[in-house]
Amino acid sequence: MSNYLDALSVLLLTSAFMLMGNKRIKSYIKTFRLQSILIALLTGIMGINSLYNDGNVDILVVCMVVIGIKVVYIPFLLNKTYENVEYKVEKDFFLNIPILIIGCCFIVVFTYFSLSTTTGINTGTINMQVVNSISLILIGLFFMISRKKAIGQIVGFLVIENGIFVTALFATQGMPFIVDIGILMDILVAVIIMGIMVFRIDEKFGSTDINKIKDLRG
Amino acid sequence: MGFVLLAVPVIAVVLFFLLKKKQYQHAVSVAASIILMLIAALLTREVILFKTIEYSALGGIFYIDSLSIIVLDIVVIIGFMTSIYSIGYLEEELKHEKLDKGRLRIYYILMYAFIFTMLLALTVKNIGIMWVAIEATTLASAFLVGFYNGKDAIEAAWKYVIICSVGIAIALLGIIFLQFSSIGVLESSQFLDWTALFNNAQELKGPTLRLAFIFILIGFGTKAGLAPMHTWLPDAHSQAPSPISTLMSGVLLNGAMYGIIRIVAIINHSFGNSIFVGRIMITVGVLSVVTAAVFIFTQKDYKRLLAYSSIEHMGIIAIAIGFFTPLSIFGGLLHMINHSFTKSMLFLSSGNILQKYNTKEISKIKGMFKLLPVTATVFLLGLFAIGGTPPFSVFASELVVISAIFQENNFFVGGLLILLLAIIFTGIVLTMFKIFYGNDTPTETSPGEINIPGVCTIVGLLVIITTMGLYIPNELKGLIENAVQIIIGG
Repeated sequence: MSNYLDALSVLLLTSAFMLMGNKRIKSYIKTFRLQSILIALLTGIMGINSLYNDGNVDILVVCMVVIGIKVVYIPFLLNKTYENVEYKVEKDFFLNIPILIIGCCFIVVFTYFSLSTTTGINTGTINMQVVNSISLILIGLFFMISRKKAIGQIVGFLVIENGIFVTALFATQGMPFIVDIGILMDILVAVIIMGIMVFRIDEKFGSTDINKIKDLRG
Repeated sequence: MGFVLLAVPVIAVVLFFLLKKKQYQHAVSVAASIILMLIAALLTREVILFKTIEYSALGGIFYIDSLSIIVLDIVVIIGFMTSIYSIGYLEEELKHEKLDKGRLRIYYILMYAFIFTMLLALTVKNIGIMWVAIEATTLASAFLVGFYNGKDAIEAAWKYVIICSVGIAIALLGIIFLQFSSIGVLESSQFLDWTALFNNAQELKGPTLRLAFIFILIGFGTKAGLAPMHTWLPDAHSQAPSPISTLMSGVLLNGAMYGIIRIVAIINHSFGNSIFVGRIMITVGVLSVVTAAVFIFTQKDYKRLLAYSSIEHMGIIAIAIGFFTPLSIFGGLLHMINHSFTKSMLFLSSGNILQKYNTKEISKIKGMFKLLPVTATVFLLGLFAIGGTPPFSVFASELVVISAIFQENNFFVGGLLILLLAIIFTGIVLTMFKIFYGNDTPTETSPGEINIPGVCTIVGLLVIITTMGLYIPNELKGLIENAVQIIIGG
């Protein structure tokens, strides 16, 4: 089983790099869906494992909710928002893509060194799964600050959440069931609210470029 | 009884959906807030008698102790004041067609959803569910911040929802590390259980716990408005309708600070000293006070000025918790109560001013004593109170905090804090006091108060803060002392 988990954690990290290399908002949403499918797979494997070992169905239920929310509904919602607000295609990033990818590489190296010096997380060898998932969170943050459009920021936020979810699975075998469900519900509501706000921003400012809305200062 | 407390706001939300007439909605809102106050009073009595309230239902997640009842009482009392104030405020907005009946309903629904999430955050034992509830407070109040749908309001709401969601997500990472540090110590049914974590604190893994604290401080600190994560706060507080600014400043910030205090208690208990946590908390706190002192001087908008003052007071509470002596924690908790009431009074008064003058700019307001005699008096006294002038309550708690700092022989931080408080007081006087005098009042408005229920609430709050400055009831003192015991342990 740990082979599958290792492979999935590396694939998740790769999906984050892919996301950073995407140019168009449509492809962000596709990559996000791919990442969510990987997470659903990971949760499914862990769920089946815990069902065999302890007869516990909690993680499988979480897996179903992940599929429903992250794989199906949120990408659908983002696509719908995108179709309504993005009538013209503009460049969406400040730095060019090679520099962003090199930045991501630095993030992974940084995470590796900072976690390898923290005793308590590693038992003997360095826990690469946790390194990968925390890199995923940091790349999500980096993605948020590297994009200008509101939808890009929502995707960045979702990648951060994905990273945290995976960290919870790898580091602690999942949070208590009720907490997991609560977190997923919060994310769902947050994305719905952010989607509505993107509409309003577009209505008032004529664009979803975040850099253009900075009237409030000081 | 405890579950009834959580059920009341939910029932109120359902009633707002069902009842169409605005009179009924006002009535439901006031009734719900009065019922909440009564239940909170009964729970407070129970806590005074039995120290903690726990039920075995639903896996025993319901838990109240002296620390949470203090914050909970602040929530219900300010909730009551706000719901009374809202009647007059919303009627006036309806008259000027700034909102219609449908939006009035949305206002009440979101307000009670917000109160529900706040109460949930304060009455659970599981830190994970507390996180879920605190994140839900952001979501419930996001549309309230952008309620007027103007350009500025949308910008503030967007900033609020993005910065707070990401910040709170970082706190979740910290909570995962906290759970990670307890693996092997606690059973899986006790994961993230606050009392279990606190009782077994010495066995938790230290390095992971440090990592957890830093992430949680950044996360909840974003929500509590500690510098340098405070950037959403002035925007959101100035753009939200005034009763909502009141709830955010008086209630929401305390909720986030409550989360930080819970975590600090676990970590200091685990390390046996407060050196690690203390250094970080004091740095962040001093930085917040400095930020507020700098920005208060340059403010042109009175609601933003009040928002920066909230950052200052959160900083003072963070410093008090950082020192972690019984006296300083007592001062910090007392300051939390006093700041909430005083700041609520100021934000509610600012709503009256905004409705009269239709502007948030300080330079356009003249002759307030003529146009709004009662509000002007309360606002003037409130500004003195928030600046830390005796006999008001903020002075009393600041005095306790500062004397606790000097008792620890930390003359540098104590002296710096006194200096900064003096600077902030000067800043408030310089920027704000020109609004009270002057004869050239705007011609289109006539003298007189608009919002009569609102005036009653602000006068009531003035009475509360003046009394609290002179005399603290023994029951309250006992509660705070118990809370200090809970935080320090033993």
